[in-house]
Amino acid sequence: MGSVLVFGLLWVVISLLGEWGATTWINSAPDGTGPYFGTASNLGVIGAHAFDFLVWVAVPIFVFVVLMIIFAMIKFRAKRGEKVIDAPKQTRNNKVFVGSWILISILVNLLVWLHPNASGLEQVFAAQLPANNPNPLVVDVTARQWEWIFSYPQYNITQSLNANGQDTLYLPVDRPVKFVLRSYDPFHTYDTAIDVIHGFWIPAFGVKYDVIPGETRVIYITATKLISTEQNPMARVQCSEVCGPGHPYMEANLHVVTGLAFAKWAKQQASRS
Amino acid sequence: MAQPLPKGQMASMPKRIAPWPPVLRAFLWAGIGFVVLAAIAAWLDPSPNSPYLTAVGSVAGWFGALIGWLLGIGGYDYIVRPMMGYPTPRVRTSGWRRYYEYALDHKVIGLQYLGASTGTFLVAGLIAMAMRFQLMNYQPTLFHYPEDYLNAVGIHGTLMMFTVATVAMVGGLGNYFVPLMIGTRETMFPKASGISVWLVPIGVLTISMSPLLGQWSTGWRGYEPLAASDGSGLLYYYLGVFALTTSSLIVAINLTATILFKRTKGMTWNRLPLFAWGILTVSLLNIIWLPEIQATFILGMLDKVMPLNLFNVFGQPLGYEYLFWLFGHPEVYIVVIPALAIWNEILPVMGRKSLFARPIAVLGLVFVMLLSGMVWAHHMFTMMRFSEMLPFSFFTEMISIPTGFAYLAAIGTLWNSRLRITTPTLLVLMSMFNFLIGGLTGLFLADVPANLQLHNTFFVVGHFHYTIIGGMVFSWMAAMYYWLPKFSGRTYSEFWGKLGAIWVFIAFNATFLNFFILGLHGMNRWVSAYPKYLQPENFWTSIAAFFLGAGFGINIIHIVWAWIKGPKVKENPWDAKTLEWQTSSPPPAKNFDVLPEVVGSFYTYGDNVPDPVVIPSVQEQTPGL
Ligand code: HEM
Ligand SMILES: [Cu+2]
Ligand SMILES: [Cu+2]
Repeated sequence: MGSVLVFGLLWVVISLLGEWGATTWINSAPDGTGPYFGTASNLGVIGAHAFDFLVWVAVPIFVFVVLMIIFAMIKFRAKRGEKVIDAPKQTRNNKVFVGSWILISILVNLLVWLHPNASGLEQVFAAQLPANNPNPLVVDVTARQWEWIFSYPQYNITQSLNANGQDTLYLPVDRPVKFVLRSYDPFHTYDTAIDVIHGFWIPAFGVKYDVIPGETRVIYITATKLISTEQNPMARVQCSEVCGPGHPYMEANLHVVTGLAFAKWAKQQASRS
Repeated sequence: MAQPLPKGQMASMPKRIAPWPPVLRAFLWAGIGFVVLAAIAAWLDPSPNSPYLTAVGSVAGWFGALIGWLLGIGGYDYIVRPMMGYPTPRVRTSGWRRYYEYALDHKVIGLQYLGASTGTFLVAGLIAMAMRFQLMNYQPTLFHYPEDYLNAVGIHGTLMMFTVATVAMVGGLGNYFVPLMIGTRETMFPKASGISVWLVPIGVLTISMSPLLGQWSTGWRGYEPLAASDGSGLLYYYLGVFALTTSSLIVAINLTATILFKRTKGMTWNRLPLFAWGILTVSLLNIIWLPEIQATFILGMLDKVMPLNLFNVFGQPLGYEYLFWLFGHPEVYIVVIPALAIWNEILPVMGRKSLFARPIAVLGLVFVMLLSGMVWAHHMFTMMRFSEMLPFSFFTEMISIPTGFAYLAAIGTLWNSRLRITTPTLLVLMSMFNFLIGGLTGLFLADVPANLQLHNTFFVVGHFHYTIIGGMVFSWMAAMYYWLPKFSGRTYSEFWGKLGAIWVFIAFNATFLNFFILGLHGMNRWVSAYPKYLQPENFWTSIAAFFLGAGFGINIIHIVWAWIKGPKVKENPWDAKTLEWQTSSPPPAKNFDVLPEVVGSFYTYGDNVPDPVVIPSVQEQTPGL
């Protein structure tokens, strides 16, 4: 019984310390993004909350097992050179321990499935309803080997390019964006017979969704922070699904700007294309 | 060493026929088989682009090589000729050469599998070192073209999965120990088993040589529709995996039948050793899922040579992905179940303590097996419909409950034990630590909103290396040290064993903890070059990885040294109760002079616990046994 008390006490104390450390870690980044980083969009924030919650769930489990390993190595160690004899107490079962283990593991798993998983998904699904995305900016995203092409039909931009002729993505902050993910773009000829899957990923936005040949998929994202690739390299469009030799280089710069700056940029682009 | 037969008996056996070493003959026959069938294919189906070797020809030639190889290694002498009425030649039973020939003894076959796995582990490990070398710099250094690097990733992953992770503890340790542990002299289908192990080298060679046919960049999953337009080397990826999975399938059938039908007297299901339970559940998984992936790969291959338009852009590309993971997720349990079983095999022995909640430990293995077919699409959250996300995340999280039972039993056994901290104990505890991190990071990946960020980043790569290396490879090492006295009658040095264990433990965690951070920082998978801001982190990760590689090298050298030159040790150095320890070390050719009888549990310790095994006197046994 003594060992149980000592172990239990240690577990509680270290878990609390661990939770305190985890919380500090989560709040360490200046903007509260903690270890997750991808929080510059509405969807990313959902993922970050899930991540943080799961860190809290994981800490006591981690502490329990690791403490048990260390505890056993110290407390239950057979002394070196000692005669090998069987352990004096031979508990082969303990209904309370087994029962509560099974119950707790079921409850913890149900919990994390409901929250943050199902609750987070509910938010994600809600964020995908057109009704919740008034006046969206439509961006057609074309993925092909190996290039991202962004066009803005509302602004007559068929392919947005920066001064060096590279594809770039400009987005206004806090305005819903309707990304139309597709692998074929009427303005560029491309051999669809060798089309492959790509992953549309913006690390800073904390979300990715795949572009499947022959399918057009829509995802609504709202950028919530003013960022750009130059100032934060996680703010970039990166292909996340292996798509052949060009895969490592399939990226594009991203600029999240104010609505005003966006309008100015769009005008400029439109006159160019 | 097994005793050679007495002189007189030897003379009465038919002489061995092989005029030269079977491996050399197998290579020659494989070459002939390849040329003949490739030529026929080129003649029937000529291609203007490649007059000598067409895509069809390279597939046909491969099957020719496969047949030539299997016949040359022993299929002709031991299977084909006897079928035609000739006497079966004797199988070599002593000397090192028997490991390079057709064998019937499950122990020789087990060591053949182990050797093949270890050799492949070194090759694929060196490839990993090359990959980590490349990633030290954000610009290409070693692999100048991304396809070189991607092909390396694909070969590393494919070899590690199909030759190491699924083979070392099943084809290797399973073949060697299951018959010993359940008290039988041979497996159910020794002839098939003797052939099946030789599918491993040809599978490994096929995959390693595949870039010669045309580089491929899909990685080990062979995702469509990229595969459809990717290099022809993929044909040899499909075929190599086909050979390796066939080998594992034969192991599974053989060991399942052995466990079902060849248990010694008194070996009830309630007494069956945990490791045998592990091998049984894994084998059932293999029997269910390996044919599925084989069929998928054959279709993928036909799609590529014909094409059938099944999985390319004109067909259903995602269909392949679903079919792949339908097998692919059970595969990870195929990898880890033997490891979980080994923990609870070693801990009671080292702790001198009864296995805690044994039925739960067994049920855990069985339930993991049952659930593992219901979670596959959690690898595809970024591809699927929203409506599929909830059920797949549900089953994924639920499977951690039976997985946790292995911890439940291990922890209950550790409690109040008298734990001998030997190298195997240390490695089991380390494996528990590592697999815990693998499992807990799985919690994050199973959360769909977070998955949409973490998927296909180094976070995932860290997660599965924690489960596979942390869970399986560490347990494999624990088992090797634990059973070393059994293999060779010799033992290792506790100092070097512990040093090696601590070395790989630190280096492993230093390497792969960084993978999580890298992933969170936006490092994606399958990249030979990456944005510059990730370089410092990658640099240190690679340094740690080189230490890890060296650590594995130290352990392998130490084990080999101990095996050959280590100090001699008594028959049952751990005072273990399971049957493999109730015979001499190394075990004689037929395992037991007299088949032991089981009368109690192997996992019950304590005062006044009677011996679970009795050795009947010779007369008592029925002569046929
Ligand atoms: C020896 C230390 C090891 C190191 C340093 C290492 C490193 C790596 C790296 C850098 C990748 C590429 C990740 C990417 O860009 O996607 C990778 C992939 C992989 N590794 Fe390892 N690895 C090691 C051992 C192992 C072992 C022992 C196994 C399994 C038994 C394994 C299985 C895999 C698999 C399945 C992949 C995925 C390949 C793919 O994406 O197609 N690795 N490893
Ligand atoms: Cu890509
Ligand atoms: Cu899986």
